[in-house]
Amino acid sequence: MSIATLHRRFICAAGASLLATALVTASAFAQQTGPIKIGLLVPLTGPLATPGIDMVDGFKLFWEQAGNTAGGRKVEYVIADTTCNPDQAITQARRLVHQEKVHIMIGPLCGHEGPAVAQVSKETGIPLVMDTAGADSVTKWDRTPTVVRTAVSASQIGHPFGDYLYKELGARNVTFIGQDYTWGHEVTLGIVQTYKELGGKVAKIIWNPIGTKDYGPTVASIAPDSDAVVAIVVGADRIRLFESWFGFGMDKKFKIYGGYWMHQDALPQMDDRAIGMIGNSLHYAAGLDTPANKAFVDAFANKYKRLPSWFSESAYTASLWTRTAIEAIKGNVEDKDAFLKAMRGATVNAPRGTLKMDAYDNPIQNVYVTRIQKINHPAIGSVLTNVPIKTYENVSQFWTWNPEEFLKRGPYKR
Amino acid sequence: MRRYRVILALTALAAALIVPLVAGQFWMTLITQIYIYGLLALSVDLLLGHAGLYSLCQASFFAVAAYTTAILEVRYGYPTLVAAPAGLVAGTLLAVLYGCAVRTRGVYFILITIALGYIIWGAVYRWASFTGGDNGITNVPPPSVAGVSIASQTTYYYFVLGVVILCAFGYRILIRSPFGLSLRGIKGSESRMQSLGYRTTMHLYAAFVISGAIASLAGVLYVYYNRFINPVAASFQISVEVSLMAIVGGSGTIVGPFIGAGIFLGLRNWVSSFFEMHTAVMGIVFIATVLWAPSGIAGFIGRWRGDGAKTKDRP
Repeated sequence: MSIATLHRRFICAAGASLLATALVTASAFAQQTGPIKIGLLVPLTGPLATPGIDMVDGFKLFWEQAGNTAGGRKVEYVIADTTCNPDQAITQARRLVHQEKVHIMIGPLCGHEGPAVAQVSKETGIPLVMDTAGADSVTKWDRTPTVVRTAVSASQIGHPFGDYLYKELGARNVTFIGQDYTWGHEVTLGIVQTYKELGGKVAKIIWNPIGTKDYGPTVASIAPDSDAVVAIVVGADRIRLFESWFGFGMDKKFKIYGGYWMHQDALPQMDDRAIGMIGNSLHYAAGLDTPANKAFVDAFANKYKRLPSWFSESAYTASLWTRTAIEAIKGNVEDKDAFLKAMRGATVNAPRGTLKMDAYDNPIQNVYVTRIQKINHPAIGSVLTNVPIKTYENVSQFWTWNPEEFLKRGPYKR
Repeated sequence: MRRYRVILALTALAAALIVPLVAGQFWMTLITQIYIYGLLALSVDLLLGHAGLYSLCQASFFAVAAYTTAILEVRYGYPTLVAAPAGLVAGTLLAVLYGCAVRTRGVYFILITIALGYIIWGAVYRWASFTGGDNGITNVPPPSVAGVSIASQTTYYYFVLGVVILCAFGYRILIRSPFGLSLRGIKGSESRMQSLGYRTTMHLYAAFVISGAIASLAGVLYVYYNRFINPVAASFQISVEVSLMAIVGGSGTIVGPFIGAGIFLGLRNWVSSFFEMHTAVMGIVFIATVLWAPSGIAGFIGRWRGDGAKTKDRP
């Protein structure tokens, strides 16, 4: 054996042992730093408790599947009840940061809680993975460096539907039934914007506050010459509109389309009259026929005996995205900048499709226009669900406009 | 008995002073919040516990003050020395205007204050271009005076504590003055006070404005505490909650509203972290208060110490 070979061998061995030491140290380091703590902020009581629980279920399902680990570290989570009140959300977010010492916050649900929790993220530097709270401003005019969004911004699901309404449904004179608060304004006016740009005429927009008890006056005041009605409703209003619509015999007079209406969590309270109606224009539908979604829906249905709503998928995907980023930085969540960078750079194969972050921290994703159908699921039996009939691929929150132009135009306001 | 009270007050003060040293940051911020809501509940109690008026528009003064300060700070970049007093003045001016509600009594007063409260809520919710609507106003900077910024939560805790103590002393002087006595006289029997020559409506009007000013102060403290304001602050719900705080804690006392705020916010923020049905716990607390401590926790403690009769008519 020549000296040179010996040298080479020595260097190789030394290199290998160094590498091994480094790996051992790295894993020991990761263990020393303890579990990763994630705080989930959702309303468990109050008007939006049902979607809140949907989120918790999606969240828990994901971490159970992931074996409660990420990046080689154990994951622990704390769930805080925001009661859909920004004041409470702020206090709970501070509790998660100061008391529970979480590394990452996920949530909240209610639109108006979003800016409140973002405020805590800003003052404490703890990254916030903004989930279902959809306020447009968070990823447009009022961005926070430590906040990234994994769900959707309100008008993102509205723009494609305006296009669909004009081109595929052939509507030319539409009455809109909109929900009178920020999310409702942004979805409704997002639809109106693209629809009007194509040349559609708005017959009327009827605004109802959340929690409107009686939809009789609303359906009675639909402009008589409208050739279509579009509904954007949330919470219990979804059921009330459904009942009033058929109760007043409106189904015989007008065609109604759901811009944001018949979600999976509301369908059990509707009935077969819904079959065949256009239910939603949304970035997720439980009836989506892809392997990733089938696996998710089956796991969810087997565990909870119901189909997942977009809230469940949203919390699931927020967790998936978070875990992907944690894996990319090898579990070192203490480095917040690296984590946020990994979040922004990740490509995620979620149940709803492949997701990427745009330069404004909002996902680019498919939007599905869905029809209500009755399907048979082995774990649940016969059940109503949203089945996509048209897919708008890779929709940006700015639709087809240039971001600067959109930002200059300003938020959608009633 | 007097010495006993002084010792109790000093112990409470000492406890309040060491909170930032012993409690974690979360508890400190929660207690700051309790002081602020306690102050708001105290403003309600001036009307409720002394004048016998059930006002349900207290959140309006609170919110108008908070919004004024936030808008001046964030939109127009005014310094704290302008924004905070402006908030205080705006809230108080609203109370001067809304004070005309004291022309009514009883259930009509309750109804008219609910309606007045909804006007403000509707305005801040609707006037989105000015108030930010549902999204509210974020990024309120920490208060700073002459280049010194109160950015740390510990400093702000002491600041709020100081303000609250000053207010409590001022309030004590107010309710022990002939004016305070006449308010309780009106609560007892307005017609008798009138026959004695008091202009009862003017007394109630003055009490209403003072109450609005205290609520405005709480609003200014609140906006610098949360650095955020949203229409929920102006909602009917807040007006009801602070009234409940005053009632549960002990209406007609000074510490009562603060105890009530502590119970209310403590239950909501702490119990909710380990018990999902925290609202049920809150309900049980209310029922227990009504059944066994009708004069609130403060009244209950007073009765237990054997001077219940005195606490009832003495502030």
